[in-house]
Amino acid sequence: MTLKECYTALGGDYEGVVARLGGEGLVKRFVRKFLLDESYSLLRQSLEEENYKDAFRAAHTLKGVCQSLHFTRLCESSESLCDMLRTGCWRPKVDSLFLKVDEDYKQAVQAIQLLDINSAQAVSDMDSRRSAR
Amino acid sequence: MKNNQIIRFLTVSLVLIFVLCVFIFSFLAVFINRKGEQTISEIGTAYMSSMSEQVSLHFQTTIQLRLAQMEALVSTISVTENSDEDSVLEALSYNAKARGFEYLALYSPDGEFEMIEGDQVKVTDPQPFLESIKNEEDKVAVGTDAQGDNIVLLGVSASYRMENGKKCIALVGGLHVSYISDTLSLDEEGGLVHSHIVRKDGSFVIRSFDAVGDNYFEQIRSMWNTSSQEAESCVQELGDSMREGTEYSIVLDTDAKGRQHLFCSSLPYTEWYLISVMPYGSLDAKVNALSSQWISVTLGGCGIVLLTLLLLFGKYYDLTRKQVSALDEARHEAIEANKAKSEFFSNMSHDIRTPMNAVVGMTAIAIANIDNIQQVKHCLRKISLSSKHLLGLINDVLDMSKIESGKMVLNKDLVSLSEVMDSMVSIVQPQIKAKKQNFNVQIYDIITENVCCDSVRMNQMLLNLLSNAIKFTNEGGTIEFSMSQEPSPKGDEYVRIHLRVKDNGIGIAPEFMEKIFESFSREDDKRVQRTEGSGLGMAITKYIVDSMGGSIDVQSELGKGTQFSIVLDLEVAPVQEADMVLPQWKMLVVDDDEMMCQTTLSSLKEIGIDADWTMDGESAVEMVKKRHGMHDDYQIILLDWKLPGIDGVETARKIREHMSDVSILLISAYDWSEIEQEARDAGVSGFIPKPLFKSTLFYGLRPFMDLSEEGDGVVEEEDMALKGRRVLVAEDNELNWEVAEELLGDLGLELEWAENGQICLEKFQQSPIGFYDAVLMDLRMPVMTGLEAAQAIRQQDRQDSDIPIVAMTADAFAEDIQKCLDVGMNAHVAKPIDIQEVARHLKNFIKK
Repeated sequence: MTLKECYTALGGDYEGVVARLGGEGLVKRFVRKFLLDESYSLLRQSLEEENYKDAFRAAHTLKGVCQSLHFTRLCESSESLCDMLRTGCWRPKVDSLFLKVDEDYKQAVQAIQLLDINSAQAVSDMDSRRSAR
Repeated sequence: MKNNQIIRFLTVSLVLIFVLCVFIFSFLAVFINRKGEQTISEIGTAYMSSMSEQVSLHFQTTIQLRLAQMEALVSTISVTENSDEDSVLEALSYNAKARGFEYLALYSPDGEFEMIEGDQVKVTDPQPFLESIKNEEDKVAVGTDAQGDNIVLLGVSASYRMENGKKCIALVGGLHVSYISDTLSLDEEGGLVHSHIVRKDGSFVIRSFDAVGDNYFEQIRSMWNTSSQEAESCVQELGDSMREGTEYSIVLDTDAKGRQHLFCSSLPYTEWYLISVMPYGSLDAKVNALSSQWISVTLGGCGIVLLTLLLLFGKYYDLTRKQVSALDEARHEAIEANKAKSEFFSNMSHDIRTPMNAVVGMTAIAIANIDNIQQVKHCLRKISLSSKHLLGLINDVLDMSKIESGKMVLNKDLVSLSEVMDSMVSIVQPQIKAKKQNFNVQIYDIITENVCCDSVRMNQMLLNLLSNAIKFTNEGGTIEFSMSQEPSPKGDEYVRIHLRVKDNGIGIAPEFMEKIFESFSREDDKRVQRTEGSGLGMAITKYIVDSMGGSIDVQSELGKGTQFSIVLDLEVAPVQEADMVLPQWKMLVVDDDEMMCQTTLSSLKEIGIDADWTMDGESAVEMVKKRHGMHDDYQIILLDWKLPGIDGVETARKIREHMSDVSILLISAYDWSEIEQEARDAGVSGFIPKPLFKSTLFYGLRPFMDLSEEGDGVVEEEDMALKGRRVLVAEDNELNWEVAEELLGDLGLELEWAENGQICLEKFQQSPIGFYDAVLMDLRMPVMTGLEAAQAIRQQDRQDSDIPIVAMTADAFAEDIQKCLDVGMNAHVAKPIDIQEVARHLKNFIKK
């Protein structure tokens, strides 16, 4: 799975990121680093603890990272959640927004994990998994 | 009609007053005259009475004197028995002569005179004389001598022996009548009064010079030409009063001698009567002179009064006429105004009805064709257009009524002239395009872009002028819209702005020019009847300009075009213009208007760009070629779309044949949406709308920063400025930090990471002064936020506490940016960070 395919899979802006960071290599390095980013787990944990302040900051950071990496889809869903948490909190809405973030994040993680591994296989794999869901 | 009434009233009253005047004055004249006559006759009577009295007293005295002389004579020459008769007579004669007696006689008891001196005399009326003498009374009588002359005889008792031996009873002295009349001055020539002395029967004793005949009664009768009742009654009354011994006074109006005053009184010692006559002739002449003088004075006074009255009436009439004519004029004006208003209403109601009809009709059509979407859309579009037009009309009327009731107030707010011009241009573009007109927008000598005024009214005013220009200019005509500035005479806080809208349309008739700024006026002409509008636009515009303290001027010529010029002194807005600096690009400006090129060049200079300029496409291509040959290419070319010769698009195409590595921007006041594709195909990189304010240029050029910087070595040049600079990056997210490090590292910066605000602050505190050149600060961080950290840094007691701090955040809300600036940060960049933007900010803020 090439970087381009990966970005297509996670709903990102491949041309944008390459143009901004100036090369696939650098992008790949940062994309892999994304897996180590703790914002998502902090977000999840804070929500479970109902610590909305931290949750907001985590969502905000996640959004920022996604902006940097041009993960458009995850960026949008995390931004929605971030905005909801910023203005105050209506739990059911937060939950539904988090569900979307959760889904997009997992898709992104999956796509990144498959980066450079047997791309064709991976793509079909992903497709089948998506259709199954 | 009213005028006639006034004239009639004035004439009638004038005549009445005239008549009244004449009447009163004549009455006065006559009355005074009468009164005068009466008074004069009274005075005459009194005068004559006193005079008669005097005369009679005088007469009495004279007579008494003479009698006394006679008595003295008698007593001195006493008769003794033995005395010599002759010597007595001689003595008597001598003494009598010495006393002026002309005659002297002894009077016998039988009434005979024995003359001692003088001729024989005869008493005219001897009986009473004799009686009196016999009674030993002194008596005076008249007699005549042999010549027939009248002689006054004075008799005193005496007994001298007469020739015949008898004794006389009285000594009689005689005096010539003239003596009496001389003594009494009865007959003064030239005297006012002359007197006669007459007897009871009217016969004269002493006659004055004017007397004729022997009898005064006869003379009275003779004074009338015919026998007159008056004369008879006068004679009768005179006779009566003589008999009764009373005084008699009468004024006679005689035929022969004019008016005469006659006064009669009796004289003592005699049977005589003094008749004094005063002819009024001379007196009357004087009185008449007086009365004629009086009359003429009266008439003169009357005349003066009348003249004054006439003058007053004339003036009054004049005034009234003026008033009436002024009234007429006012009425005429009121009618005119009313007419204008009703005309306006009828126009307006027509103007309103037309779009209203369209709305109603189109609605009906739409309902009838509710299933035909195309049709309904068409109808809705028409309805929308009509409603907008209707709204415009109604707004105008409301504005006008606001103005007329003085309720329109200007709101002063911050206005960007570039925005005003931009919005004007974009609003009128569709209309200009629809009429295929040429549109030139120019700005010159812009001192400031931001001013304080009412933006809504300013837009309204300009839109009125522009839409008028478009409306009254035929297809293919040219509209020019320009703005220039100069220092205001009102001071440094003001700037004088000249706005000009010029067209080469149908122009304005001279007679209409005078009232172009009046309300409800629209040129009534076949040429413009089809043009819609309320006729209020110019009035509103004029009012707006006036209330902004400006002036508006119009020049127009029928068939040649119209030019409206507005001059406004507006307050300069006290805002600092945003920091507008662009890299030192090599630029070329191509426009056929030299002024416009110069203005653009000076604007570009202000934002840091030195540019070349030329006025047509061909020379532009040449210049590009030349620079290309020198390996000193232009980086950005501003091309006017409409150029003489080859147009902008064609020029762009030709330039592209020689070089690809350049940004070509079309500048135009027109709507380029239609040619956009063609232009892009020709190699045009983008568009900038005219007019080219500094801000327009800045924001129009900024997006091309990346493109151009990639091409040439500008970035490297910038990097050099930043090389080795130490920057502290506060960023809680590791991934973001790495990205930042990676990107900014390329610029040659030395970066240090602070995981949160607290660490950032600590690192700053522990560093030597001047160690860090700048701080890039994320806002959302744990422990300490970027805002708090920045605030803390600013509060440090260090020389470098004013270190440049650039905020980085994904929250691009305006209030967030404001917060950053409030706590003292220098700038703000949005995440994901744009390396060029960060570099630009750093370059601006880092001390050289």
